[in-house]
Amino acid sequence: MKPFKILAFIVLVLAASLPLSGQARNLELPDTVMLDQLVHLYEGAEFDHEYHTEIVDDCTGCHHHSVGIPTTNGKCAKCHSSEDVLDNVACVDCHAVEPFSADYLSKKEADKDAYHQDIPGLKAAYHLNCLNCHIEAGGPEGCEDCHERTELGNAFYRSGSYAPKGDKPGSAH
Amino acid sequence: MRSLVNNGYQPVDSPVDEGTKRHWGFVEKLLLGLTPREYLSQAMKNPLNWVLGVLFAVGFPVIIYRFVFGLGAVTHSSNDYPWGLFLGFGLFVMVPLSASGFLLGTTVELFGRKDFKPIERLGLLNGLLGYFFAVIYLLMDLGQPWRLPYPMVVAWGTAAVLFLVGWHVAVYLTVQIVEVSEAFFEWVHWPMAKIFIKRITIGLTIAGIILSTLHQGALGALFTYAPSKVHPLWYSQEFLWIFFFTSSIYAGLCMLIAVSTVVKKTMAWRCSDEWLKKLDSQTIGLARGASMALITYFVIKVVGIAHDNEWAYLATGWGQWYILELAVGVILPLVVLGYGIRSERVGIVRLGAFIAVAGIVLNRLNTALVTFNWNLYPEIPHLLETIIAVTVFGLYIATYRFILYRLPIVYAWNPLPLEVREKATETAAVPGTLGQHSAAFSDVSLLD
Amino acid sequence: MEKITRRKFISVSLGGAAAGAFVLSGKAQGAGNFTGYPEGMGVLVDLTRCIGCRTCEAACNREQGLPEPALPFDDTSVFDQEFHGGQKRRTDENAFTVVNRYDQAEGGPVYRKIQCNHCNEPACLTSCFVNAYTKTKEGAVIYNSKVCVGCRMCMTACPFRIPAYAYSSATNPVIRKCIFCYDTRLKYGKPPACIDACPQGVLTFGHRKNLVKIAHERIRANSDLYVDYVYGEDEVGGTAWMYLSGVPFEEVDFDVTMQKKPILNNAQDFLSQVPMVLAIWPALFLGFHRLSTRGEEDGDENSNLSNREESQS
Repeated sequence: MKPFKILAFIVLVLAASLPLSGQARNLELPDTVMLDQLVHLYEGAEFDHEYHTEIVDDCTGCHHHSVGIPTTNGKCAKCHSSEDVLDNVACVDCHAVEPFSADYLSKKEADKDAYHQDIPGLKAAYHLNCLNCHIEAGGPEGCEDCHERTELGNAFYRSGSYAPKGDKPGSAH
Repeated sequence: MRSLVNNGYQPVDSPVDEGTKRHWGFVEKLLLGLTPREYLSQAMKNPLNWVLGVLFAVGFPVIIYRFVFGLGAVTHSSNDYPWGLFLGFGLFVMVPLSASGFLLGTTVELFGRKDFKPIERLGLLNGLLGYFFAVIYLLMDLGQPWRLPYPMVVAWGTAAVLFLVGWHVAVYLTVQIVEVSEAFFEWVHWPMAKIFIKRITIGLTIAGIILSTLHQGALGALFTYAPSKVHPLWYSQEFLWIFFFTSSIYAGLCMLIAVSTVVKKTMAWRCSDEWLKKLDSQTIGLARGASMALITYFVIKVVGIAHDNEWAYLATGWGQWYILELAVGVILPLVVLGYGIRSERVGIVRLGAFIAVAGIVLNRLNTALVTFNWNLYPEIPHLLETIIAVTVFGLYIATYRFILYRLPIVYAWNPLPLEVREKATETAAVPGTLGQHSAAFSDVSLLD
Repeated sequence: MEKITRRKFISVSLGGAAAGAFVLSGKAQGAGNFTGYPEGMGVLVDLTRCIGCRTCEAACNREQGLPEPALPFDDTSVFDQEFHGGQKRRTDENAFTVVNRYDQAEGGPVYRKIQCNHCNEPACLTSCFVNAYTKTKEGAVIYNSKVCVGCRMCMTACPFRIPAYAYSSATNPVIRKCIFCYDTRLKYGKPPACIDACPQGVLTFGHRKNLVKIAHERIRANSDLYVDYVYGEDEVGGTAWMYLSGVPFEEVDFDVTMQKKPILNNAQDFLSQVPMVLAIWPALFLGFHRLSTRGEEDGDENSNLSNREESQS
């Protein structure tokens, strides 16, 4: 296997499940969560959970229906109205690290009853959720505002010390 | 040449040197019976040679440059315009202008119109050279020209229109070489080979018309692959191949008139009196055929617009360009030809033919280059690309002239070998003598 | 029982047609509606999610071993580049995918990724006279440079203007385009490099038939977000790569006038005439010949003499 397979996630699934089983409302919330299951081109991101709980009223924006608060999204509420706290509340519990692997696809295909056929992968879930909210709410939007790029990442983007030398004109025709 | 002829020089037109009463050698034939010094001096006096000389001096290095540094060095290497002048002009224009080969073959050999016999060979030669140089242009254009035989031997993309074009042009080129070789065999004096060609003429001619119908049309059908790139007025899924085929008929006939005009004006010394005498009536005959094709073409072009309901496009800028193409390239030559035919003024007919040829050039360039990518951006061919295109055309003219000077195309080869002639002079000149000897000539036993 | 697809029909009839000497025409008549291999993979590109980070371009460059770019892949100034009077960037021999930015009057810009769409019935494939292209059962349209003559017909035929030519090479110029990472990934059941790399879930990889459902479901569930159209579902017979957009497709340079039937169908009108011409012409013209010469000696005796004799007799 090529070392540089861009995001052939060398899956470091470091059981980052939040230590949250039980009662969410009874507050055992983590102060920070290290999001580092996908470290490759970028370092992990340290997510300030405490800060975000302060500025966001609605946990369901990130946790959907899993933390015991009925979802406010009308569409989801049709099914997910219970106030039970689920065993799995971490992103990675539902959002696959490798959402397009042959294994995952065939598993999904086999499970014909599953309503959600279109669940973003973990990386997409993070970025779609975080970045879209940051854009709306005026949070930081740059990649390195949240996580530093690795040396591998610089090589990948041909950036930093790997930047192209000379000023060739654009190659696109 | 003219001054030489005025001084009594007679170019080679038989196997025998009338002066020395011996057979011409091959090199002597190549030099038209002149000494190398004489040949060179007449060549130097011809201004066309100087023009060609300059052209080749510039063009050949550019061609070498193209093959050393690739297409990117001489074209705009455009991914949006994969085809430039080499195909736009070289293939799509040269091929219809070369339809004269199958047209004259069909007229004379199949329909038995012996009144077109004198100009048939020029028609065949025009066809052969047009196709041959279309292939030369193709070699300039192909990224890997050395793989040209691949569609024949290595990999078959049988569902492709281009596959059909490739095979047909290759086979038809062979057919034309065989057809024209009749003149060559006369010239080199291989009567057996000539007789063999004669035997298969009908077969060759029918092969010619099948292949021509299909590949002239196929060149049009190629553009049905690009429905969103060719402007709708020039595009017709159902009829494009018929447009191309029909227009190739008048293109070939008018090109033949045009070429014969040039021959008459510039190398009358090489033409037999008979050929010159009969040229005018044949020209009018060819023009009659061409005008029928022109009318048909105009009608089906209008039908094409109606069929796809493209009237609205006529009001746009592209529509005006389209109308101009039809007006100048089809209606104008039609009117001029018609007037020339009615009043039997051959000069007018010739003018009409030249206009029709220009009209075909315009139509093919419009389809392949000008209106191609009409919704993108216009592409002006690269200077070096243009130089190569002109150089190859110059080569075409030089080759054309080289052959016309030598092979019995516009003059008749007097096939009688020395022995027969000597006998003929002994048995005094009786009317029809030549005919008898000719009959004898066809008896092979006498030849060896 | 295995269904005979048009492609099969074409290759099967090749044998028969080959026997028919130099004109091989019969194969184009397998008229039908080939809608791609049932197990073919595809990609759904959701333009509403793209943020123009160009990570997919970098991934493609690395995976395909393409040359160093002129500018780093995190340099967004490339979005301001213009070519040929306002044309945006396009794919070329050194870039099999590019992302372009389309500024909007309201809201943020829309980004559009382009690459080969891997048609079900590819125009490049059907127009190629050396059969250099293959549509694999996995859905990729791949290319064999070993037989390519360099006629560039495929570039003329591709309705998406994707195949690019290595004009810079004098000795071995070839067509270059996205191959769905077929060699290194797709055939092993893995998604192409750009898809693994995309941080935003712009690209959804899966069986094409499922993606069509997912696409419509996404539109249905977010009708305020999407234009109600899946570009590529039907275009030129369907493409393996399909698009969802939040702005009208023509505003981000999609050709919305694209025909729905495969490009191959266009040429069929002509190709179906070929066997007829072959069959009818010989008898027809031989008949004309007999009629017009009315059994005169076929001119053999006379005409092997040149016209000089004829004029004198």
